Amino acid sequence: MSLPLSLSPVFAAISALLVCSVATVGLAQQTAHPPKAAQRREVRIPIRDFSLTDQNGREFKFQSVKNKAILVAFAYTTCPDVCPLVTAAMRQVQQELSAPERAAVYLITVTTDPEVDEPKVLASYAKRYGIDPSNWSLLTGKEQSLREVWKNFGVKVHRKARGLIDHTSLTAVVDSAGTMRVAYLGTAPDPKLVLKDIRAVLIGRKASG
Amino acid sequence: MSMPIRLPSFALLLLFAVSCGRNERMDGLYAQRCLGCHGLSGRGDGPVAVSLPAPIPDFRETVERKSTGQIRRIIAQGRGIMPAFEPALQPSEITDMVQMVRFLSREGREVRWWEKFDVLVVAHCSVPWDIVLGYDEPAEEKSR
Repeated sequence: MSLPLSLSPVFAAISALLVCSVATVGLAQQTAHPPKAAQRREVRIPIRDFSLTDQNGREFKFQSVKNKAILVAFAYTTCPDVCPLVTAAMRQVQQELSAPERAAVYLITVTTDPEVDEPKVLASYAKRYGIDPSNWSLLTGKEQSLREVWKNFGVKVHRKARGLIDHTSLTAVVDSAGTMRVAYLGTAPDPKLVLKDIRAVLIGRKASG
Repeated sequence: MSMPIRLPSFALLLLFAVSCGRNERMDGLYAQRCLGCHGLSGRGDGPVAVSLPAPIPDFRETVERKSTGQIRRIIAQGRGIMPAFEPALQPSEITDMVQMVRFLSREGREVRWWEKFDVLVVAHCSVPWDIVLGYDEPAEEKSR
């Protein structure tokens, strides 16, 4: 049996290395390093139910989508770093899902910056990205509630300034039983790889159903 | 009744104008919020840009054709996958970002005569004119 992701020392070390860092030094000291490819890890971590607020200000219960394959990412709207890439990759995944797959897959973005990311800010973000809200919710909430969700997924969050957050860049595929099956760490995952993993989870769902 | 505060407005305007040059605060903001995509000079060649689904335009050309209000709106409200900074930043910080973008867009090209007055325009907009000119409270407030 694998260790819970948040407890695994290997995962902790990887997380520390891959925490999404934001430039804070002067222009002259900046060096250009293109983001490396996301690290993919197969895991088996049960995700506890949670309740947050979506981009429309409505309550969102994780258990309401638990019968689907779920793609979850952690991001914040004023991120100048990896989050735009993650959301763009998820958008591509959403676009490439077939109609039957869309009914069986749900996408979730959980904010790492509840101070700035109110529901209306998330709604505007979703609109700018052309997100189809029929199977994608962007979630915020009280910091305490979010902390529990972050912890459950093994995401570390550190506020540096208003609208500037260091956080573990995690995108995860969760199966229909609510178990995290694949974790992509570091930067945006390859949408083709994510689609492959989602389809594998869907096949497993059919087989067990 | 409040006493109107009258200050030498011209001196204040000059003071604001002097403080509106490129400074470390602007450089810091640009490094934190913009450089990843827009790059050191605004060419759109930042380290994150290569991974984005769409190319980042060279803002040195686009900024030249846009008004200060238009640039401000883009920074404040975002565009496409560019973040909207209004929820996170103070208006003065957005003003700094607008100025920084203007400064970068002028590097390596001849500055037109009217562009030299931009600093004064920004300074003018930053002066709290109601205080400087001693505008009083509205009449209905006075009568109470």
